Amino acid sequence: MSAEHLVSPDGKWFWDGVEQEWKPKHPATGPPKPVLSPTPPVGREAMKGLSSFAGEVRSEDIAYGQTVLVWARWILIGTGLLLSFWSPKDLPTLQVQLAAIIALAFGNFYLHVQLLRGHPALDNVVYAASLADIAVVTALVVVQNGYPSPVFIFYFAAIVGISVAFPTWMTVGYTSLVIGIYGFLCVASAPVEDLPAVFTRLLMIAAVALCGNVFARSEAKRRADAIRIQAETLDEVEQSTGAGSASLTGSARQSSKGETQNVVATA
Amino acid sequence: MSSQPREVRTAKQAEQEDLFFGQSVILWARWSVIVAGIVLVLWTSTDVALLTRTMPFFLVLMGVNFFLHGRYVMGSPLNRLAVTAASAVDLILITAIVVFWPGTPGLHNQFFVLYFPVVFAFALVFARKIEAAYTAIACVAYAAACFLTGTVQVENDYKVLVMRLIVIAALGFLGNYYFRIQRERLARLSQSKSAA
Repeated sequence: MSAEHLVSPDGKWFWDGVEQEWKPKHPATGPPKPVLSPTPPVGREAMKGLSSFAGEVRSEDIAYGQTVLVWARWILIGTGLLLSFWSPKDLPTLQVQLAAIIALAFGNFYLHVQLLRGHPALDNVVYAASLADIAVVTALVVVQNGYPSPVFIFYFAAIVGISVAFPTWMTVGYTSLVIGIYGFLCVASAPVEDLPAVFTRLLMIAAVALCGNVFARSEAKRRADAIRIQAETLDEVEQSTGAGSASLTGSARQSSKGETQNVVATA
Repeated sequence: MSSQPREVRTAKQAEQEDLFFGQSVILWARWSVIVAGIVLVLWTSTDVALLTRTMPFFLVLMGVNFFLHGRYVMGSPLNRLAVTAASAVDLILITAIVVFWPGTPGLHNQFFVLYFPVVFAFALVFARKIEAAYTAIACVAYAAACFLTGTVQVENDYKVLVMRLIVIAALGFLGNYYFRIQRERLARLSQSKSAA
């Protein structure tokens, strides 16, 4: 069923490229019959509602997401430097700011060079670097007395990269960490009348993480579908043309697997 | 294999598919704004009149998003123009909150963070030019809200404003950058399928 190369998130519609419109995957005409979907039932169920958040983001996805993380960190570093030199308050604050930002810049330079060389860093290094992002922003917030500090908005840049690069459970973990730490700092330092603002900040951090991870999962599903359909098409070709085409299809299969080799092109 | 794979879908096809699959992100971002708005209205209202004036607005927005989310789940999501218009309404709503929120208008209003998920979600769905325009409009709207309310006065205010504008722009850029990476990956798979 080659036309079903793009299926809607609920699994009920597919994109008909010939007629340029979405069509029901299983028309309601005729007697009811068992659903014969190439997508496993568990996978289809998982795409419904909130359960769709629990999914697979592979190491390969982290490699692609690394470029977003690296650029998010450069934005954090560049903006941090600009603002540090713009009417600095006092020497200790400026010293802490510059030390943290420069340390972050060195680390990010290493990660960026690795990407440019086509060797994305190990997953654990990426996880540690993201923890460092959160630690640096938290240090700046603490130095500036918690809630009144305007630099909390850099949590958003960090969470954006994390949400699109990491698996769902890790995104939840990192986001919970940020919300927990920053929430504690704010509750300890904000006046009671500002608690609604604290709530809004924390909720928006969670919202950004949610949006990024929903999108990453949706894209992972689309690619998985495309790979599956390609494999099915190749099987059909093999069966119809015999063993002579095996070498051709073998090379085509490999082209859909080795995506990581092309990460360098996007960095 | 070339580093820039040829897209085998037509541009219009690709846009429609991206809109279909990406629309849920915009819907979730709007839900977050609605939840934040309702909680804030309930939490900060000082009298019945204020609550009865502001709450219906969020209830209407909630009803609209229920409708849009329902259509999406049923497999008939909005077209491109309607999604763009709804996203523009989001910006207007947030800017109105920043300008008219009692007591703390403009730069001193802490609800500017509502821009973040909305801009980010939009950037995950639309192509670069449209996303850049939307992000620029968000930045201009927020800057205008701050200046028109006369809340940007001393040098530190400019610094805070610039910082916030940079982060709004950064979220738009990062979202769209990831969107383009994903397009390229999908195009590569699509190309290999075509070759097969």
